[in-house]
Amino acid sequence: MPDTAIPAIPTAPVTPAVLDSLRAIVGEKGLILDEQDKQPFVTDWRGSLVGTAAVVVRPANTDEVSGVVKVCHDSGIAIVPQGGNTGLMGGATPWPTHQGILLSLGRMNHVLNVDAVGYSMTVEAGCVLQTLQEAAASHDRFFPLSLGAQGSCMIGGNLSTNAGGVQVLRYGNARNLVMGLEVVLPNGDIWDGLRSLKKDNTGYDLKHLFMGAEGTLGIITKAVLKLWPAPKDVCTAWLAIRDPQAAIEILSEAHAASEDNVGSCELMSRTCTDMVLRHLPGTQDPLKAGTPWYLLLEWSSSRLRKDGAEGMSEKMEQFLAEQMEAGRVLDAVIAQTEAQSRNMWRIREGVAEASRAEGPGLSYDISVSISKIPEFIDKGIKATLDILPTIRPYPLGHIGDGNIHFSFMGPRGMDRETLKQYSPAITRAVNDLITSMAGSISAEHGIGIEKLDELAHYRSRIELDTMRTIKRALDPKNIMNPGKVLRLS
Amino acid sequence: MTANASVFVEKLRSVVGDKGLVTDARARHPYLTDWRENYLGTALAVVRPATTEEVAAVVKVCAAEKVAIVPQGGNTGFMGGATPDESGREIVLSLARMSRILEVDTIGYSMTVEAGVVLKTIQEEAAAHDRLFPLSLAAEGSCTIGGNLSTNAGGVQVLHYGNARQLVLGLEVVTPAGDIWNGLRALKKDNTGYDLRDLYLGAEGTLGIITKAVLKLWPKAKDVATSWIAVPTPDAAVELLSGAHAASEDNVTSCELMSRQGIDLVLKHLPGAADPLTDRHDWYVLLEWSSTRARREAGNEGGLTEKMEGYLGEAMEKGLVLDAAIAQNEAQARAFWALRENHSEAQKREGPSLKHDISVAVSRIPSFMREGLAAMKKVLPEGRPVPFGHVGDGNLHFNCQAPAGWDKARFMKHGDAISRAVYDLVVSYGGSISAEHGIGRLKVDELAHYRSKIELDVMRTLKRALDPQNIMNPGKIVRV
Repeated sequence: MPDTAIPAIPTAPVTPAVLDSLRAIVGEKGLILDEQDKQPFVTDWRGSLVGTAAVVVRPANTDEVSGVVKVCHDSGIAIVPQGGNTGLMGGATPWPTHQGILLSLGRMNHVLNVDAVGYSMTVEAGCVLQTLQEAAASHDRFFPLSLGAQGSCMIGGNLSTNAGGVQVLRYGNARNLVMGLEVVLPNGDIWDGLRSLKKDNTGYDLKHLFMGAEGTLGIITKAVLKLWPAPKDVCTAWLAIRDPQAAIEILSEAHAASEDNVGSCELMSRTCTDMVLRHLPGTQDPLKAGTPWYLLLEWSSSRLRKDGAEGMSEKMEQFLAEQMEAGRVLDAVIAQTEAQSRNMWRIREGVAEASRAEGPGLSYDISVSISKIPEFIDKGIKATLDILPTIRPYPLGHIGDGNIHFSFMGPRGMDRETLKQYSPAITRAVNDLITSMAGSISAEHGIGIEKLDELAHYRSRIELDTMRTIKRALDPKNIMNPGKVLRLS
Repeated sequence: MTANASVFVEKLRSVVGDKGLVTDARARHPYLTDWRENYLGTALAVVRPATTEEVAAVVKVCAAEKVAIVPQGGNTGFMGGATPDESGREIVLSLARMSRILEVDTIGYSMTVEAGVVLKTIQEEAAAHDRLFPLSLAAEGSCTIGGNLSTNAGGVQVLHYGNARQLVLGLEVVTPAGDIWNGLRALKKDNTGYDLRDLYLGAEGTLGIITKAVLKLWPKAKDVATSWIAVPTPDAAVELLSGAHAASEDNVTSCELMSRQGIDLVLKHLPGAADPLTDRHDWYVLLEWSSTRARREAGNEGGLTEKMEGYLGEAMEKGLVLDAAIAQNEAQARAFWALRENHSEAQKREGPSLKHDISVAVSRIPSFMREGLAAMKKVLPEGRPVPFGHVGDGNLHFNCQAPAGWDKARFMKHGDAISRAVYDLVVSYGGSISAEHGIGRLKVDELAHYRSKIELDVMRTLKRALDPQNIMNPGKIVRV
């Protein structure tokens, strides 16, 4: 657990009578009571947070979710909603003092409808992200949300945390990919906002309120997602670059050179790449260069490459040659096969997995305005090294979004407990720097448990009060994922 | 004015000074009526604060006395959302004096502005920095950005850039308690708690007053092709758009459908307007493609104009296009746009009309058009339908002009029945009864009729929680 006081949360127990009511709704196979079977649900992905739950409830449909929430609401029992349990902030992990239930959406995993003509898809919250990408692709469409955990994270969690990922640059965050939602409210009512309209100005935008609320205002049970035309001509390249400033300049010129077809632009440090190569079997260094900074650049067009005409790869080649002349690119390789391109992406997307294997570390998911990225990286590393000179930085990030995963491996040989002693000072230094640069202390991972006190420290009283007012109004009994995002008192 | 009222007005004067207070009855009139002149309210005072701090102080004075506030920008809304009621107990708070552009960040592609800046001024400022602010709508010469954001305005570029909501990075809002929320962040990603920004956007001033905004900018278009196209049916328009995405390489920025009835009204009322095509047709499309890549004279690829020519040629062979004109210069393009953008003005000059700003799924526009026109005619056979709209957004302005020679009173006897027929059909199509204009005062009952009790309850809960005294634009959107 982080060094934060456990917030006051409802303590109403799951009595045998309540358990019977829950069983009557979800049946025996919708309940997990065995302590060992509950463990994966009450532990976060990184294994750093462990909570408890009286029972794990796995409803099969919205009506069952609604029934379960009503039972809990009547008795004031706290609920922790959970999708794929891949979050990095502990938002889906119960507090150790939790007496209530954990509600897993994992059984609600049906794609209900794909409307290829209307470019939309209606899905249940427990669908695994990769399944949705594949469902879209099988209809010659594209669902752009893409991130490291896509093989196990679920769309309900993605929307509840307003997930980011590697295609935000072009398509926006998770909240931009949604047309409608169905949400079970804290009193068990079902809000049917499953609209597939591009324009709808009828009152308050509830959809945006539930997205990013991390399950504290209600449980997202279904969503209407936007689809895009499938990319037909994709070019992926791995660039050794001069420095982060060069990355910004390269991206800035790439828009016009690709005719607005930049899909991804990911900054990687040498240390980061090496870490992935060490831990993920089968990954290969795309470029045997010893320089400290790299860029994964992908351009994609929905227009099929016409024989004889210039495709993305010719445009990219020409562009890289120009950038090399300008001194921004030191060396580069364009993926010639899908396997090569997959390898590049595997390196980028395997970072979280590799860092877990590497051992204890620290990571900050921050954003600043794009032009300030180089300054932030310089100052941030310096500030951190001032506190712990042997810590090993491996910054990476979504440069087009101004979003850096400002990450560190612990010093060689240092155990988790020792590193933890340095963590508050480093966190404060990093977050102070971000705040002084008008940035965000959580660009895409959310708040959950981990950043509860950081948010309270850096946000204005007025902003926190407004959030609390909303939380109290919509969830007066404080049963929806209590003690996450905000402290109520 | 009662003694109490005059004491109250003096308190306001002490905040905003003499020039921040409109007292003359004639000078006040424009603030008390809406653009369509559907409503005429009265007000305890019309105040024009010059800064966010003054707005906050005015709200504090009002909160202490439980006096309701109607925020107002350019006062160009169609739904009466910025018009006070008839009680004389509300004040109008105009943001018009807060009209400064505070910062343009060309590298970061953002602009920070006060709420009272006229939309066109923002567009021009962006253009002066070789950038584009894409929000564009007929009222752009007088509407102000605060109102655009409070109503989540749409317009003619939504297809490519999204609604007003999508064009905003950060906001500053004065809350119903008179506090200032500083959410003026210029970040593309920020997942720190509830999305307050999106709650205020589109809330029509019922949850707080937007005083400043950080807007997103885009690269300025360097190559634009605009064409005026006669199509046989709305079905053809949808199909034409569908193919245009790939043909333009995803550069379709506008696709507007119009009917002959609308064009006739514009030609009648807009001085100097001319039909770009020789023959009369039933349906027209204004199609615009734009790219940030400058046209290369030397290259063999040509620019968007050549691509559009090729595409329209193919479409003509398929029978999707009957006739077409591609603008050869900016003046011609502007003339095409004037035909589209003067629809509201022409309808206003022609006489009374009913507006239905609706949306359905794009693929259902043609069948909706058929059924909707029939439904309108069934209620009032002499009515003159004037449908037009943003095809790519599924958004139609499904309007009905009064029969020639009818006055408003006579026409409005049929108003409810016509609107009910249209909205029932929209709802049966899974559509929206207000796609881009909002709810305001005009559609409060319609929203209550068509939305679920659960949804309305959640909205009311939010309204009560954030504005417990119900002083922020009360009676708009939802009744508490």
